[in-house]
Amino acid sequence: MSRKVEMSNFFIRYGFLIVMAASFLGLGLAQPSFWNGHNQFSILLGVTVYAILALGLTFTLVIDGLDLSVGSTAAMTVMAASYCMVVAEMSGTATVLTCLALGALIGLVNGILIVRLRIPDLLATLGTMFLIQGLQLIPSGGRSIGTGMILPNGEEAAGSFSDGFLFLGQGRLFDLVPTPVIFMLILAVIVYVILEHTRWGRVFYAIGGNAEAARLVGAEVDRYRIVAYVLSGLIASVGGIILAARVGRGDVSSGGGLLLDAVGAALIGFAVLGAKRPNAFGTIVGAIFVGMLLNGLTMLNLPYFWQDFIKGVVLVAALAFTFGLARRR
Amino acid sequence: MTAVSVRDIGKRFGPTTALQGVSFDFHPGEIFALVGANGAGKSTLIKIICGYYPDYDGEILVDGRPVRFSSPHEAYRNGIATVHQLIDQGVVPNMTIAENLALAELLVGEGAPFFYRPQRIARRAAEIAARMGIEHLDLDMQVADLGQSDRQLIAIARALATDPKLLILDEPTSSLSEREAERLFTRLDRLRREGVAILYVSHRLHEIERIADRVGVIRDGRYGGLLQAPFKVAEIVTAMVGDLDRSEDRVAVVPDPSGPPKLALRDLVVTPGAPPLNLEARAGEIVGVTGLIGAGKSELAQCLFGLRAPVSGQILVDGRPVASANAAQAIAHGIFMVPEDRAANAVVPEFTIRHNITLPFLRDFAAFFSWSGLIRHDAEKRAANRMIGAMGVKCDGEGAMIGSLSGGNQQKVVVARWLVKPSQVLLLDEPYQGIDIRSRHDINAYLRAHCRDRAVIVFAADLDEILEVADRVVVLNHGAVAGQQLVGAIDRRQLVHWASQAPETKFEGRVAG
Repeated sequence: MSRKVEMSNFFIRYGFLIVMAASFLGLGLAQPSFWNGHNQFSILLGVTVYAILALGLTFTLVIDGLDLSVGSTAAMTVMAASYCMVVAEMSGTATVLTCLALGALIGLVNGILIVRLRIPDLLATLGTMFLIQGLQLIPSGGRSIGTGMILPNGEEAAGSFSDGFLFLGQGRLFDLVPTPVIFMLILAVIVYVILEHTRWGRVFYAIGGNAEAARLVGAEVDRYRIVAYVLSGLIASVGGIILAARVGRGDVSSGGGLLLDAVGAALIGFAVLGAKRPNAFGTIVGAIFVGMLLNGLTMLNLPYFWQDFIKGVVLVAALAFTFGLARRR
Repeated sequence: MTAVSVRDIGKRFGPTTALQGVSFDFHPGEIFALVGANGAGKSTLIKIICGYYPDYDGEILVDGRPVRFSSPHEAYRNGIATVHQLIDQGVVPNMTIAENLALAELLVGEGAPFFYRPQRIARRAAEIAARMGIEHLDLDMQVADLGQSDRQLIAIARALATDPKLLILDEPTSSLSEREAERLFTRLDRLRREGVAILYVSHRLHEIERIADRVGVIRDGRYGGLLQAPFKVAEIVTAMVGDLDRSEDRVAVVPDPSGPPKLALRDLVVTPGAPPLNLEARAGEIVGVTGLIGAGKSELAQCLFGLRAPVSGQILVDGRPVASANAAQAIAHGIFMVPEDRAANAVVPEFTIRHNITLPFLRDFAAFFSWSGLIRHDAEKRAANRMIGAMGVKCDGEGAMIGSLSGGNQQKVVVARWLVKPSQVLLLDEPYQGIDIRSRHDINAYLRAHCRDRAVIVFAADLDEILEVADRVVVLNHGAVAGQQLVGAIDRRQLVHWASQAPETKFEGRVAG
């Protein structure tokens, strides 16, 4: 192998991580408080919700699909959790289980629309996205849900968020590590193990690579595809539960921007370690990279309205890197 | 006087020679049929003539003048009009017939007007329609509302609109019914009388017998002969398969006749209306199933593998009737299949060699408990390496991407996938498509050495490929067994006769030799 090819292989494999390390160093040198431990955890905390959504989304990307409804699923979960706690006065455990079931149900509906009715994935999940966005407004009559809110019948809501539930979003382990970060990391490890080290993960990837070949080696392709959307919906509701616990109220506009951040993180993940395919490690690294960059640049007094532009630049650059440069191999 | 000639055409893809020294003349007012087995080089020659492969040896003459095409568009401008196999690539369904007919000149051609002018399109379309004899169609109809044969006629009409020197029809009847095909033939007769040179490519030899003036044969990438009408299908097949007097020096393995056969088909009907099919295959023998395109080989393989429900009849494995509703169930019954067309049906391109080999039986590499789902990567690696060594896959190790392999080595990998575990029946559907001789020999040697406990059935249209591996040759014709022979006593004339008999003939299954 020539030296040039070796160099380019090295760059394709480690290029993204090198850029990330360089940004970490550069931002810290420019603003030393960036390296502060609390700041590092606040970066991680900031990316948790959309990183979790991106992990779920990764399953659908692996089977060569896409779930556009993850953002609104998470937003609906925020409303559902608030409704369960404040209006229905349910326990924390019951609330969490209800929310997870709702997320899985939305995933199941997506899966059935795509697999059984053969609606293209983008259109089906775009449809459910709108559907959920509308649905979440109905139980509360279009209003945000908070402790002591006035119900449509004129009475004051009696329930409130339990401490246990709020701990899911606001607690800290050893007074340092935020609980959402722990959830994110545990989930990332689970998704990584499923995708890379189980036969189910292998079949997911095989379906994404050549669905017909997967069918002809005996894989039940339709069932796997439905499961991918169910996992996506389920994991999106985990993100929603954490978001609800963090803000402690059900805000009708809480889901805005989550979808695009999640899709961005998962796609940036293609470039990590030259994977050229959706993968759990890349997804988390992609999410953290974007969070780190925005945090550091904000510390350097970058105006907030630059944020979306920076995200876009990172995403397009990562995609160009993955699909453009890596193809020349 | 020739319209178009090809002289000494040769084409190489890397180390493989696809075509060598092929010369043909195409005359005006003549239908010239080009035939050859799968992979013989037919489509390579067509692609050279219509400009897809600018890089070839030899020369093409149009009206006696040497030309060299660097793109399909250039070939088109020099009078080579091609109607490709997939009709819907040739028409735009959501436009009207008139728009489709006038598409080339009015919308993209030179001197096309900037504005869309309906009257002009209608006028031009009417001219073209009259020439093709399709003026009975309502030209304002959407093409989407038409049947396949009308779409085909529109694609041909448009190709003719430019007064081509040569009209190439690539498998024009592959999606037409018999009646629709007959309509097409009447039009082609008319075009022939008008002096159009037609190059007709088809697998359906009965059509060629009916319509062609001359038949050119390509065999293994070389000139394989030229036949003048009138000819019989059997003659064409003979030219396609080559030397009929060659004998096989192999002796058939006669399997142990005791006990139930590994696979038995009892009055199996695969496609509605086909006669019942009876066949047995025992452990230790390799059965080669051959027949022309459309004889029902792939359909039979798919039926055995659970991809297509039989109309009636029984499939017995080791004496027990089995019914498989999908591939997973067939695999559970011990029936494995290497499907035809590895790129579409077998290879997972983003996977390594190892991941491609172990895909069907990941459960066997489970860590801790069989239900844990976790894969033991070391065991997986060992299995992959074992198969790579046994099949002689040329590669940089099990971790190399399958896309880095040659076609033959990719095929070894997708065959190896089904040899990781013992099976009752191993089906291989056209396993030699697009692979080199060396790989074919490697695969055959492995199949032969490891068929003791399984029945192996190879489905292939090419008789030579079958005779190279099989102990027993079964000829299918229109869904039924037309006859079978043991490899030590092969009479190629008889095999060709069985394969090419007209469908009306009543078959009697028998074993000769």
